This record gives sequence, C-alpha cells and structure tokens, in this order.
Amino acid sequence: MGFILRRLVFYFGAFLVAVVINFILPRAMPGDPITAMLAGGAMLDAQQVANLRETFGFIDAPVYEQFWIYFKSIFSWELGVSTYFYPTPVTEILGMAFGWTLFLTGTATLLAFAFGASLGIVAAWYRGGKFDSIASPLSLVLQATPQLVFGIVILFTFGVNMDLIPISYAYTAGATPEFTWVFIKDVLHHAIAPIFCIFIVQLGGFLVPMRNNMINLLGEDYITMGKAKGLSNIRVMLNYGARNAILPSVTALSMALGFVVGGAMVVEVIFNYPGLGTVLYNAIINRDYQVIQGQLLIMTIFMLSFNFLADVLYVFLDPRLRKGGK
Amino acid sequence: MLAKLTKVSTAVAMGATMLAGAISAPAMAADKATLTLVSEMKPSWVRNFNPFLATSRLATTNQFIYEPLLVVNEIKGGEVVYRLANKHYFSDDLKTVYFELKKDVKWSDGEAFTADDVVYSLGVAAKGGAADVAGISAKIAGVKKVDDYKVAVELKDVNTGIVAEIVRAPIVAEHVFSKVADLTTFTNENPVGTGPFTQVDTFTPQVYVQCRNPNYYENDKLAVDCIRMPQLANNDQLLAAAIKGDLDWTSAFIPDIDRVLVSQNKHYHYWFPAAGSASFMVNFKTPNANNAKAFNDVQFRRAFSMALDRQAIVDIAGYGYWSVNEYPDALGDQFAAWANKDSIAKYGKYSKFNIEGAKKLLKDAGYKDVDGDGFVENPDGTKVEFKILAPNGWSDFINTVQIGVEGLQEVGINASVSTPEFAILTEKVQNADYDAQFTNYFAGPDPFKYYNTAFHSEQMDKARFGGHHNVDKELDALIDSFNKTGDQDEKVAIVHKIQERIGSNQTTMAAMSTNYNYQYNTKRFTGWFNDKNPQARPVVWPDTPERLLHVLNLKPVK
Repeated sequence: MGFILRRLVFYFGAFLVAVVINFILPRAMPGDPITAMLAGGAMLDAQQVANLRETFGFIDAPVYEQFWIYFKSIFSWELGVSTYFYPTPVTEILGMAFGWTLFLTGTATLLAFAFGASLGIVAAWYRGGKFDSIASPLSLVLQATPQLVFGIVILFTFGVNMDLIPISYAYTAGATPEFTWVFIKDVLHHAIAPIFCIFIVQLGGFLVPMRNNMINLLGEDYITMGKAKGLSNIRVMLNYGARNAILPSVTALSMALGFVVGGAMVVEVIFNYPGLGTVLYNAIINRDYQVIQGQLLIMTIFMLSFNFLADVLYVFLDPRLRKGGK
Repeated sequence: MLAKLTKVSTAVAMGATMLAGAISAPAMAADKATLTLVSEMKPSWVRNFNPFLATSRLATTNQFIYEPLLVVNEIKGGEVVYRLANKHYFSDDLKTVYFELKKDVKWSDGEAFTADDVVYSLGVAAKGGAADVAGISAKIAGVKKVDDYKVAVELKDVNTGIVAEIVRAPIVAEHVFSKVADLTTFTNENPVGTGPFTQVDTFTPQVYVQCRNPNYYENDKLAVDCIRMPQLANNDQLLAAAIKGDLDWTSAFIPDIDRVLVSQNKHYHYWFPAAGSASFMVNFKTPNANNAKAFNDVQFRRAFSMALDRQAIVDIAGYGYWSVNEYPDALGDQFAAWANKDSIAKYGKYSKFNIEGAKKLLKDAGYKDVDGDGFVENPDGTKVEFKILAPNGWSDFINTVQIGVEGLQEVGINASVSTPEFAILTEKVQNADYDAQFTNYFAGPDPFKYYNTAFHSEQMDKARFGGHHNVDKELDALIDSFNKTGDQDEKVAIVHKIQERIGSNQTTMAAMSTNYNYQYNTKRFTGWFNDKNPQARPVVWPDTPERLLHVLNLKPVK
C-alpha cells in the first residue's frame, strides 16, 4: 500500500507542475484573442477593439490574478468562458467534443493494441520468417509516417476522388442523433477513415515492443521445457510466452489511453471531425486561452490517471512490486 | 476578410467533383426557396443571435434578423438606401442627426416597431463599453425620442460622416432586450427581429436554417423563404462543397477561379469589384539607424515605389483579380472621382514601374554600392538592408512582397521577405519595431476611412495600417476637417490637399487595389449582383450590410 501512496503523492506533485505549465503555455504565445480576430479579417476600428477587450475583461487582469482565478477554477471545475464562442462555457465546448474523441481515438488505440500485440506475438514466434521480416519493419515505417500524410492521402483518394467516405463531420449534417441502426451506421461511416489513420500509425508502437519482449522470453528454459513436454505450439506461444511478454505492453496501452483525450489533432482537423483535437487546434489559432487551458487540464488529468492506473496494475501483475522491495 | 487566405490545394480543385454526403442538403420542403450561403467559417455552430456580441454572434444575425436604419451603399459613393428609417437629416449646426422611422414595421413577434426601440438600442451604444459594438459612444452625446417615429441623436462634435457609423449599431426590440440582465452574456437563442429571416428552423453544430419572418414589412418583395448555413471550417472545404453545387452564395478567396471552380460547375459565376488599396511602406521610426537614414529620404522612397512591378503583382500574386494602383497616395480607382489630377501629374511618375528611373533616382541622391555586394549603401557609406513583412499564411500578400523584392533587388536595394504570424506582425508594426511592410486598407463610402486609418497620427499605434509612423500634424488637421463639413465640394477640396501632401512626400508606396471576393450559383436563384447589375457590394460576409439589398433582389429559378 505504501507504494501506491507514494505514487499518489508523486502524481499530485506532477499535476501541480503541469497545471502551472498549462497556465504559462497559452500566454507565452504572441497575440491575444482580439488580434486573432483581426487576423481573420474582422474590420474593427480602435474603439470597437477597445470595447471588445472590455467584454473579455479577464484578459487584462494582472497575471497573478489570472493565475489565482485559473487555479481556483481547476478545483471547482469552472473552466471559464470561451472567447471565440463567447459566452459559451468551456466545459460545454469540451463536453460536446469529448465523446467524439473518446470514441475515435479510443477505438483506434484499442484496435491498434489488439492487432499490434497479436501480430507481435506471431512475428516473434516465427521470428526471421517471411511475416516477421515484412510486418515488423513495415509497422515501423508506418509508425514513422506522419498522420498528416495518411490523412491527406486517404481523404483525397477515398473521400474526394472515389467518393467512398465522407470528408467532413461526425455524422451527416442535419441528422438527429438517436439510438438507431441508421444513425450508428452513419457515425461509423464518418469515423472509419479517421480511425484507420490513427490506428495504422499506432500499430507499430504495439507490435514491435511485443515482438521484442516475446523473443527474449522465448529463449527462456521454461519455454523449451513446455515444448519438450509436448504442449501445443499455440499453448506455449500464448500461455507461456505471450502472457509474460505482455506486461510492458499493458503499460504502453494505459499510457496510450492517457493520450486519447489529446485527440488526434491532425486527423480530426483534416476530416473536420468535431473532437477535442479540432477544438484545441481552433483554440490555439484563436488564442482562446480558457479553452486551451481546459483542454490541457483534461489531458493532464487523463495522462496522470492512466499512468497511475498502470502503476496499480503493475502491483497486481508483478508480485515483486507488491512486496514493496522488502 | 478579403485578405485572409488559406492556400487551396489544387488537388481539391481537380478531384472534388463530389463531396460524399457530408454537407448535402437534408430534404427540404420542395415549395420552400432555400438559399445556401457561407457568411463565416467556424469549426462548429453555437447558437448565439445576440448582436451585441460582435465576435461570437452568428454571422447571419445582423441585417438578416436585425435590419439597420439604413444601408450606406459603398460602391455607389455612399448612396443611402433607407430600411427601418425612411429619412434622415442633420440639424443646421450639424450637431444633431434626426432619423424618421417607417410606420409599418413590426417585430417578428407581432409587436410594433417604434422610436422606443431605436432610442433603447442606440442608448446601449451611447452608454459605451462592451455592448457598443459600433464603437460610437465617444462621439454621441445622447439619444432622444422626438415622437413615436422620430429619433434625435446628439453628437459631441460635428461629424458629417457619423451616419455610416451609427447605423452599424444593431437595432433590437426593447421589449426583449430591456429584460436581459447582462447583454454580454445573453445568447438570444430565439431572436425577435425586424429582418427577413428571424425564425430559426433547424439548429445543429453542422448546419442551421433561418426562415421567413411572418411579420416582415417587405414580405411582398422577399422571394427567398429560408437561408441555410452549412458549417465549413476552411476554404478547402468551401471549395469542395461549391464544386459539388451545394452552395449558392459565397465570398471566399479561390485561386485561379476559372479553372478551379467555374470550369467544374457551369452554374458558378463570380464578380470581383475593386475594394481597398494596398501599399508597401517603410517605417520612418525604425530602430535600425542606418535604414532610418534611407527611409526618411523621399528620393529613396520614390525609388522604392518605382521598383514595384504593379502589373506583375496584379497578374501573378492577385490572379488578375486586383487592379493596378498608381496613385501617389494609393487612393485607388474605387475613389477615382476624388482624385487630384495636379498631384497625379506631378508625382504619378514615381508610382509607375521603372527600373532605370529608380536606379537613376538612387544614384542622383548619392546611394551607391561601395562594398561591391551588388546593393547600394547610404550616401554616408552605411548599409541599407531590411526585411518587408507580410502575414504568415496570407499567400497573395507574400507573393506580392516577393515580386516587390525582386524589383527592389534589381535596382540595388537589399530587401527580403519575412512572414511573421499576424499577431507578431501587428505588434511590431504598431510599436514601430520593424523596417518595412506591405498592408491592405479597408475602403468605405468615401476616402475618409482610408486616410484616417492610414495616415492620422492617432491611429498609428492602433493597427497595422499607419505603420509608416510619419507624424504630420498638418495632415492630421486636414483629415479631421473632412467630416466637419457637409459640403461635398469642400470635402473634395480637402481630399485634394490631402493627396498633395501624401503624394509629395511619397509616404507610402501604392501597389494595387484589392478586390471583393464573391461567387454565386445561378442554378437555384437569379437576380445576383454582378458587373452587369452592379447595384451594391455583393459580399455575404457580415461586415457588408448591402447583403440585405442583395438577398431582397434574389428570385428562385422556376
């Protein structure tokens, strides 16, 4: 229990540091919400600009005051008001996008884990074989390819030229969200391309570590013993090898899930998908500090929580940690 | 808005013959004439029809829900088209403006529109602060009701240009807004307006529809039943939707429009009337002491101006949409009627592309290449070397500066391009912490707005337009005097003096006049404004009140 408590304290400290950085980052960017509007071509004279600044009054408050307001808001979960969508509360804007991102990136990450880990097991078992020598390097290449490239290629090939997939939105404009097969099908149709883009890039991140761990384990004596006992290949591969090799991958998965709410900004923007990535992108462009802070806060909380979860999981999976080093 | 450009990939152009289901119209009742327009690009629609929230209200709020007192028709030299008002005039001392109101106007909820609504609305503006979206509180002393259909606006100073500013203030229903506790947090989800489209029919984050006001006072003239706004986040998405034929009325920048859009969809047409001027300028107060020597020399600025290949700028950077501007003060053809022919005769040659002439000017003024690097030095031998700023991502501006730089280098001036982010550029220019830039200006019904923003010393630290930072008190006084008279001849005489002053000094280097972007689709509607029917500025962006006249002119194709 001491281990978990120590981790908790550590994470709380990390949270505080992150919170301070979240506050500083948006303000370190040049410009402010009003200049961003002018950059968009708004024709406002000096008096109008001054009046607008008054609307968003908090921006001109001294920095320490802004920080105090921000710091309090974290614990009351009153994340302020968006300037771009004034006076819509930040929580509402993030709330609208949260579900879509969780669905999009979450699905892609789980799929990437399932496929990546399975293929990693196979690649390790037949290491040096045809499958391994194609799948492993290929997955690394895919991992190194920016999502931007996949996004644009898929958008233009399947979306624009072949007209197979929609190129915008989470569901057809004007449709009413409801729990019917027609609507679910519509949502899946809109999600398939972005999910694929995120999935394909993440795949290698699960496949290669799984394969390498597995190869290390396959040299162990108990594997040879298992084989010698006449156990089936499948049983040795899965129960003896994979089960032990998957430990680090579980950590990787929980970290990846922590990243999920960061959204896949590039993919979401390319497919005009109404998720947190699009929200963050738009907020940065428009210097919408409150939204940026809110989004960074959610990312921080998720990241730390899933890290913590991984720690806890480890305690249960690895008996050595349970004894706390005694 | 005309200047904010997103580079549109040609791939979209060639491939986007179809745009799968994404923004196709939901089934509309066949008997409703629905006009699809793009009056702003945002990542999502949020329901907000409060006209006092100048930046977050939906772009279809003004004019379409809240009609103005009158519309000032900019391309007709500021001709007034009466809307809620049917007459306006100044008192003899020019310190009060009277508006007489139409008597047959009703709010969309059936209540009568009266002077009380106008007094309330302009009162909100006069009080100042955040809800003064027109920015007029400093100029207005008070608003008074004369009778049920007549309002007096008292001015602090004589200002004959004030009407165009007053009518930017939204006119709202007193019986609705006076009950709102805080105007700046109200989202007015179910608006009560005087305009043509007050009934919100559909509202989702991806599309919304506004339909006919049952009590609209010009329902007999209005042939469009509903306006529909699909959410599009950027120019690429807009172009794809346009090619597919989903859109009727847009004002986006589309490069090479004949090939990219018109050849893909035969129903599409465009018209690009001239908009504001655009100029290069050097910063008279640059922190670089050596550059400052050159920048403060009128002969150097003239040589700079002569090095600009304006035709190439128009043809290449502007895709031929712009027009060459060779006015010594960058006034532009849109204000040709105000031009001072004497000044043009005297200084016009400095605004014409002439490489040899520029070289000679530099040589005669003592600029020569001392260190043999191919670029001239100051007469005292110090180096002249500077960057010309254009906002990051504004591809047409960047190309313009690039062409300018080629000419400058050819005459021996060591200039190069720099493209900081807009916010950084603005900050540097306002604070005089830079060397040179290229900027556009906003037009207006008369040249006042241009001169005031570009040359008045009070404006120099407020926007990028006055970035030359050349303070000229006599010029300030001339600009201030423009709106102190109601006499047109006197105004023209003032403008002539202004032109002489700017032209003789070559304060800025005119490049071109930009254009208004406007595309329309004749498949579903006719009656569009175009070069054969140039009734008013045709743009659909919300800062163009003339769009109200435009929508009233449209008829569905039978």
